[in-house]
Amino acid sequence: MGQGQSGGLPRPGPPGDKKAEEKKEKKYEPAAPPTRVGRKQRKQKGPEAAARLPVVTPATKCKLRLLKLERVKDYLLMEEEFVTNQERLKPQEDKNEEDRSKVDDLRGSPMSVGTLEEIIDENHAIVSSSVGPEYYVNILSFVDKDQLEPGCAILMHNKVLSVVGILQDEVDPMVSVMKVEKAPLESYADIGGLDPQIQEIKEAVELPLTHPELYEDIGIKPPKGVILYGEPGTGKTLLAKAVANSTSATFLRVVGSELIQKYLGDGPKLVRELFRVADELSPSIVFIDEIDAVGTKRYDAHSGGEREIQRTMLELLNQLDGFDARGDVKVILATNRIESLDPALLRPGRIDRKIEFPLPDIKTRRRIFQIHTSRMTLSDDVNLEEFVMTKDEFSGADIKAICTEAGLLALRERRMKVTQVDFKKAKEKVMYKKKEGVPEGLYM
Amino acid sequence: MAPDPKENGSSVDRMDHDEQPASTKVPAKDAKDAKKKKDEKKDEDLSEEDAALKEQLELYVERVNDSNPGIQKMALESMRQEIRTATSSMTSVPKPLKFLRPHYKTLKGYYETMETPELKMFLADIISVLALTMSEENERESLQYRLLGSVGDIGSWGHEYVRNLAGEIGLEFQQRQVNEKSVEDLMDLVKQIVPFHVKHNAEPEAVDLLMEVESLELLIGHIDKGNYKRTCSYLTSFSSYMPEPDDMLVLDVAYQIYRKFEKYPDAMRVALRMDNSQYIKATFKDCNDFLEKQQLCYILARQGVSLDLDDGSLASEDQKEKLQEIISNSKLSEGYLTLARDLDVMEPKTPEDIYKAHLVDGRAGAGASVDSARQNLAATFVNAFVNAGFGQDKLMTAPNVDSSSGSSANSWLFKNKEHGKASAAASLGLILLWDVDDGLPQIDKYFYTQDNHIIAGALLAVGIVNCGVRNECDPAYALLYESVNKEDSTTRIGAIMGLGLAYAGSQKEEVLELLTPIVTDSKVGIDVAGFAAMSLGLIYVGSCNQEVAQSILHALMERSESELGEPMGRFLCHGLGLLYLGKQDDVDATMEVAKTLNPKISQYCQVTLDSCAYAGTGNVLKVQRLLGLCADHLDKGESHQAPAVLGIALVAMAEELGLEMAIRSLEHLLQYGEQNIRRAVPLALGILSISNPKIAVMDTLSRLSHDSDSEVAMAATMSLGLIGAGTNNARIAGMLRNLSSYYYKDPSLLFCVRIAQGLVHMGKGLLTLNPYHSDRFLLSNVALAGLMTFLHGCLDMKSVILGKYHYVLYYLVLAMQPRMLITLDTNLKPLSVPVRVGQAVDVVGQAGRPKTITGFQTHTTPVLLATGDRAELATEKYLPLSSVLEGFVILKPNPDYQHDHLSS
Repeated sequence: MGQGQSGGLPRPGPPGDKKAEEKKEKKYEPAAPPTRVGRKQRKQKGPEAAARLPVVTPATKCKLRLLKLERVKDYLLMEEEFVTNQERLKPQEDKNEEDRSKVDDLRGSPMSVGTLEEIIDENHAIVSSSVGPEYYVNILSFVDKDQLEPGCAILMHNKVLSVVGILQDEVDPMVSVMKVEKAPLESYADIGGLDPQIQEIKEAVELPLTHPELYEDIGIKPPKGVILYGEPGTGKTLLAKAVANSTSATFLRVVGSELIQKYLGDGPKLVRELFRVADELSPSIVFIDEIDAVGTKRYDAHSGGEREIQRTMLELLNQLDGFDARGDVKVILATNRIESLDPALLRPGRIDRKIEFPLPDIKTRRRIFQIHTSRMTLSDDVNLEEFVMTKDEFSGADIKAICTEAGLLALRERRMKVTQVDFKKAKEKVMYKKKEGVPEGLYM
Repeated sequence: MAPDPKENGSSVDRMDHDEQPASTKVPAKDAKDAKKKKDEKKDEDLSEEDAALKEQLELYVERVNDSNPGIQKMALESMRQEIRTATSSMTSVPKPLKFLRPHYKTLKGYYETMETPELKMFLADIISVLALTMSEENERESLQYRLLGSVGDIGSWGHEYVRNLAGEIGLEFQQRQVNEKSVEDLMDLVKQIVPFHVKHNAEPEAVDLLMEVESLELLIGHIDKGNYKRTCSYLTSFSSYMPEPDDMLVLDVAYQIYRKFEKYPDAMRVALRMDNSQYIKATFKDCNDFLEKQQLCYILARQGVSLDLDDGSLASEDQKEKLQEIISNSKLSEGYLTLARDLDVMEPKTPEDIYKAHLVDGRAGAGASVDSARQNLAATFVNAFVNAGFGQDKLMTAPNVDSSSGSSANSWLFKNKEHGKASAAASLGLILLWDVDDGLPQIDKYFYTQDNHIIAGALLAVGIVNCGVRNECDPAYALLYESVNKEDSTTRIGAIMGLGLAYAGSQKEEVLELLTPIVTDSKVGIDVAGFAAMSLGLIYVGSCNQEVAQSILHALMERSESELGEPMGRFLCHGLGLLYLGKQDDVDATMEVAKTLNPKISQYCQVTLDSCAYAGTGNVLKVQRLLGLCADHLDKGESHQAPAVLGIALVAMAEELGLEMAIRSLEHLLQYGEQNIRRAVPLALGILSISNPKIAVMDTLSRLSHDSDSEVAMAATMSLGLIGAGTNNARIAGMLRNLSSYYYKDPSLLFCVRIAQGLVHMGKGLLTLNPYHSDRFLLSNVALAGLMTFLHGCLDMKSVILGKYHYVLYYLVLAMQPRMLITLDTNLKPLSVPVRVGQAVDVVGQAGRPKTITGFQTHTTPVLLATGDRAELATEKYLPLSSVLEGFVILKPNPDYQHDHLSS
């Protein structure tokens, strides 16, 4: 191999008959032209595109659809039968193995990793490795030229540096962290009240993924995303967790502030990556918490950092309803400052549904108290109604804090039961903190 | 979309919205069950209203068992009220149903003990509704209690309930069918459900239900003007996926519905699809509007069906003449030229304009003169294809600038050698395609030469000119019949082939009498007999004519083994196959005979018969059988696998899904198949996506055209031409140019590349080879037969196309049709109107009025339609007489049209 550039030339095949050899020689010159050069094909890479099944319309459940799907199944069964028969008669594995080892020989070992700078013609390119200069090298014929694009990571032969392979561009580790692997424990049952909100989010997010045909029946496009807004502690994140808990779709969660990156262009890139991954793993749900970190109204920014944040938002806008159609990707945003968000972010088509999370009313409060106290041992004198009926404004989180505080008070006194007094104290404490130090009832 | 739901008011709609979603519960039941249990545990968690409701319902349940019938009745009534008025979100079960769940068993128990029959019925109703969510799989309790319940308006229980009931009826019906029980009561229910579905825009569901209970004909009565279109489009697309006898049943119903609403053009299309000559005649006869009758004639002419107009249904001789003119396609040439003039492509093109050698890398020019005879022959074909139907070109018909030095046409003719001259002379026929009156005189002069090849070519040219066109003087027969029995075999072949092309699909008796002796005569050359059999096959395509079949079988038995081994011997089999094109089971008898033939040809013959008989049916079992044949790895010398591969394509091309799946399967054949299979795969791909340059297929073929096996490469190159035929596709043209420089040293491959280039630019991009037309609904037998003949020729590229039978290429003329839309006014004069042309979208079974085309552009007629394109009128001013805008369409002024001052 170590003969400079000619190393990339495919050797004439196994010493077979002359004729084949001759043909190979002649064949080589204008190797089959790549179907396209430049930007990498986005979705349908070679084998995948071929393996894709035709789309079956209509999506409504009817006999026609059944028949069509059965037809596809019949063909697939035939293919299976044919392939298994062929494999039995004439296993391809040995042959593949042989080919593979040959390719491995050509590649040599170890291979160095570099970047493709530029494609010169069908068989040549300029590459650079992390150290030192750029080289003009061959591209070996077995490299899938359709997937080469300037800037992609490639494998190079360790001596002649010819391109011997492509490093499949892996998912950004930043994004892979966002994937929720372990479903959170909170389920819908852990939410007190919020029935209309649950219903809305189910209709907008879950149902389109599980029963798209319902929407088609009526003839509408399902909503793309929802935004959850409301006072702090009203259960926005909790509801998102419940969605993650109940769905079998991929759930990606990210906090708005994560999208702000140190280097210029990294933020938008992360957003792109995020949605690309979501698209690949679709059906999927993307949850962006505290969206106001990036989604504030645009204004004349003076610092580069602010401009960068705005660019990140612009990328987000594009991903939400841009040129490329997102199929089965639903977006949930959460914020407690909806009025400060950019109107472009909230326009219908991007975020079709705005779900408000109000402070709990009496009925809901009762439920929340029940949920939080259900595992506490309460003494008999505890009358939760008193707290339920109070006219103070509690959020769900406040109620939880009261319960916890009461529990802590009891714990301090090594009691096994939580008493009404504990609750009262806890309530005062929580309200005191909430009102930033102004004691309750001072100005009344 | 139908007027009546609107009239019914929004209440109906709302009910749909509300009830329907409840269904989602049923599939998602398992997931929700867990949650539900939790709910039940935490009874105290219920909100006040819920708790009240629950209590109320429990009370009702208890009261149902009360001894007092009055109280019972009250309880039932109120329970019923609760259920009916319950609304719910899409995501949960209606509350009353949820709360009644635990009492389901109790209620069932009460039912057994209840005495008053009237109340019993009421209770049965309620249990039936509850069973919607409670019933075990396959128990069909909902139906069971429905039958026991009151006979009443079932629609009032909501859409979802009816849907569920319909599903259960289907299952029950099947079971009763097996046990041979009466289905009377079920049918009564069906008769209630169907109108409900039809009224609520759920025609597909009505159809499905009626299919399940095998009484589709009931549908006809329920369809009204508002929804017949949706229903029929559902029915017709249904038929492609039904097994054999059922599909006709479905189409029959569609036909009846169209007839009911006097949509004769649509009815005619369905009749043509059914290939039912009685229906065709009846439709034609019952159509009273003369204008519409003319439109029917255009549809018939496109399909190539002739009709006897002398049945006295027509008022005047004059009208009859007009119709005759349309039906015999004599206006085709005129329309085609109108289109060409409109698009400004009348200027003849030379082969060099097509090769565009200046775009190819330098060396191509240098090697161009390797084999000039073959190059000239290629140029002849390219010239013929490109200028097909235009009546003028620069090689054959160029005006004689200097008459004394001999015509330039002649000089080109003599640049070809021997059999090449035959093709050159015949190319004149292609240039003058469809133009019988002007064309024949131009061909005439070649009859007076001494050269047998030229005469043969001229005879063939006559046949080509008359292809698809009928003329009352019948010039083709008059000119050709004498030469059929000449001494010289070339002349004979020319005449025989000419007859075949001119009368394809016409079932002309005279030709039968003329050609049968040639087929059976074992003294004539096998090639003459082969072509005679082929011509007979074309003329009697899909007719199952016994006489022809007998004579071809006779020839197959008589001929010696070596003769049958020749490529022309196989044409006998192919001719036999064409007789049964698309006739499915009717081939069985002949198939039995084919099994007894000489083993050399028997297998080949069987496969050919099979693939022909099931061509365009989409029969999966046949595909499986043919695929099975391809799975064997045979010794050399067996030839039946190649037609089997083609057979897969032919059978699968019936519908889109099969087509795409077949392309997938072919990929496996390429991977595992031996050479003989691999050679046929490109051709199969070619026919699967004919005149429809799909990128994926194009890429595959482009890859194969660089294959190390030269025959695979040739076939792939040809197929590139086929998939791009008549599209002027720039991408394919570029590929072919690259190939022409790649293969500049290889004359055979270069020839194929040239032919392919000619095909891509066929008719300067105005023609198509696709045998499917009318929105891919109708299959033209003749066109398919022509394509198949061509492909069979290509299977043995070396001895047929590259040998001396290259005129087999002219069989493609059978499939050539202008891919145009010409709108005509009521006097049948071309009328320019704006139309939108765009990608067709499958809207069958979709709600509302979805757009039927996407990505459209507005043009004025006449316009070109690519494969998969659909057109719709962009003006309200006219109404088209045919719902499918393709070919010739007559427009009549819209009486309701109001001129809009603002927009104009």
